[in-house]
Amino acid sequence: MSNGVHEIEDAKLLFVFGYNGADSHPIVARRIVRAKRKGAQIICVDPRRIETARIADLHLQLKNGSNLALVNSIAHVIIEEGLCDDKFIAEHSSGFDEFKELCKKYSPEAVTGITQVHPDDIRKAARMYATSGQSMILYGMGVCQFAQAVNVVKGLANLAIMTGNFGRWGVGIGPVRGQNNVQGACDMGALPNSYPGYQNVTVPEIRAKFEKAWGVPLSDKVGIPLTQVPHYVLHEPEAKKIRAYYVFGEDPAQSDPDLAEVRESLEKLELVILQDIYMNRTAIYADVILPSTGWNEHDGVFSCCDRGFQRIRKVIDPPADANVLTDWEIISRISTAMGYPMKYRNTEEIWNEVIDLCPSFTGATYEKLEKYGNIQWPCRSKGMEDKGTSYLHKDGKFANPDGKAKFSSIDWQPPTELENNEYPLIFSTAREVGHYSVRTMSGNCRLLRNLEDEPGWIQMNPALCEELGVKHGELVKVISKRGHCVTRCLPTDRVKKQAVYMTYQWWIGACNELTIASLDPISNTPEYKYCACRVEKIEDQAWAESYVLREYENIRLSMGIDVAKGRKAI
Amino acid sequence: MNRYVQGDPLLCIGCRTCTIACVVAHEGKRIYEIDPDGYDFHPRLKVIKTFNVSVPVQCKHCENPACKSVCQSGAIRVQDGTVLIDRDKCIGCKSCTEACPFGAVHMVPLGFQLNPDGTRRSVAHKCDLCHGLEGGPACKRVCPTEALRLVESEDLAELLAMKRTKVLMTASSPEINRPV
Repeated sequence: MSNGVHEIEDAKLLFVFGYNGADSHPIVARRIVRAKRKGAQIICVDPRRIETARIADLHLQLKNGSNLALVNSIAHVIIEEGLCDDKFIAEHSSGFDEFKELCKKYSPEAVTGITQVHPDDIRKAARMYATSGQSMILYGMGVCQFAQAVNVVKGLANLAIMTGNFGRWGVGIGPVRGQNNVQGACDMGALPNSYPGYQNVTVPEIRAKFEKAWGVPLSDKVGIPLTQVPHYVLHEPEAKKIRAYYVFGEDPAQSDPDLAEVRESLEKLELVILQDIYMNRTAIYADVILPSTGWNEHDGVFSCCDRGFQRIRKVIDPPADANVLTDWEIISRISTAMGYPMKYRNTEEIWNEVIDLCPSFTGATYEKLEKYGNIQWPCRSKGMEDKGTSYLHKDGKFANPDGKAKFSSIDWQPPTELENNEYPLIFSTAREVGHYSVRTMSGNCRLLRNLEDEPGWIQMNPALCEELGVKHGELVKVISKRGHCVTRCLPTDRVKKQAVYMTYQWWIGACNELTIASLDPISNTPEYKYCACRVEKIEDQAWAESYVLREYENIRLSMGIDVAKGRKAI
Repeated sequence: MNRYVQGDPLLCIGCRTCTIACVVAHEGKRIYEIDPDGYDFHPRLKVIKTFNVSVPVQCKHCENPACKSVCQSGAIRVQDGTVLIDRDKCIGCKSCTEACPFGAVHMVPLGFQLNPDGTRRSVAHKCDLCHGLEGGPACKRVCPTEALRLVESEDLAELLAMKRTKVLMTASSPEINRPV
């Protein structure tokens, strides 16, 4: 995020785009509610009547997959009505003329067929956003999980540049990341193209720095993104094939799109290593399982979506007979066994190595994390007076070589798999409060399972339910070109008739059986938010109920769980 | 005056933290037991979501409770400004569920007590404002957006004063269109 999460409540206008804070991050949603209480206006852009839409001054209930058409149209109105910050554009940006040209064809009237949003509402949103004086954009997976994702982010950045909403308190654009510490994974270089601190692997000076620090030669090639693993296992020639897959803290057999293809690649792999706290669906394919400690059994540093580093502390010791190690201890031992001795005494030693190699993290010492609780990078100096950076781009300075923000002129492109006669509905993944990500953690918490349990729900408009003759709580079959799953019908007028929504953590209601592995060309994030599906009524509900129980027990059996012991818990 | 917990739909984000807190408060350490039947998951409030509203619905602790009036077994009493149900006296007739105008009383099966036909015995169940538990209503304590508040007589007095002032201001406003 360009600005801190704590700044949300001071914005005068929140433009919440494809971000369902209440279900994804209640703690961030609290800031949105507080902003509203303090008098902020809220524009919510979402195909569903999410909680933020309820309290919004304006809800643009756009058609799924029309993001960039709507964003460019808002830009069109801002230009047409002379609401741009001309001074900011002139002094701190490049590429505006080309962008202005592109926007000409995106009048609200021209895009209304694509977006299903009334032109008056687009005009109103543009005026509100451009004139509040302090507008902040928050976006989430409703932007990122499309084949056209990065370009929508650039489109949202265009809006912030053209109205001068960068480089001040309570403005900017905020990707509120999907998972806790996903920011940390990126910060620490768990990306195919960078070392920790976003230092590119293809830059010779940077590679030399890391080679010197670690005493080994390093590759200058960009690696393979997670979502391309199935392709590299199944379709690449022998010489380029992936043979071994070391997975930790992840469950690709549950969380990745097109699960049938994921299973095929897991079966083909010569070696699968899984490092996790409980058995999960990927564990079924693992040759080696390395049990590791849970979040409360180890120390470390997390980074929040707003670049804030925070320490996490061990609360309890793992059971003495559990034979588990922390993730970093396991990695150290594997590395040592493979011929690169890796020895650390504690997480502070690891952290010191990280910050010394990453100029933008250097000032975030354990001492400061301890004293201030939270340090947002960039924090370059170890002196106690450098407390980090709440918002980026101060004085209109941007990270491009010319120091200017760059306008991106990009046309809207429709999603990959559109609804059709055989699959007439739009399928999209969603979140629910209480169950986090795959069910490795929350699915093993009994109280949360009491709240919601297998096989999960599919959100359907009541008119659609009536058409299909299905009632609340009935089991239904959901089918796409790639697979099917069984789940329960949840009628709700918060969704439109054309689209249905499921959460992705359930083993039986595993909606990634349906999703499509169509990737954004830059981020390689899959199009979880759009594919075509149909919903079928199941006539024999008693059979369906027993099918769910039986399948659930079979999955537990395949994980080596004593099913008789847990039977009462189902 | 009896007290009650009231949710504000403009602040509620429908996260159901209150629902879990209610169970945790009433079941205590039993939630840690390995035995799946070791505790009951019976929240005493229900988060309702409609097109425009999300808010938990729970007992209003009425001054002349309909549930108490219809109770045949004397299981419902008012004590410490709270309407309470005595599970042991409840005969499971469901009259209170039918009588309550807010849908705040529902029936729940008791853990181990069986009816003669082998089914679990059900009793009436509702919000007890965490009566006898430390720290007051748990739902209010845990709400991340402070959408829940415990309404006492002074809060009502304040609300009334505010409404009366508002009405007065509107009535004396020059812009108001008076009927001709």
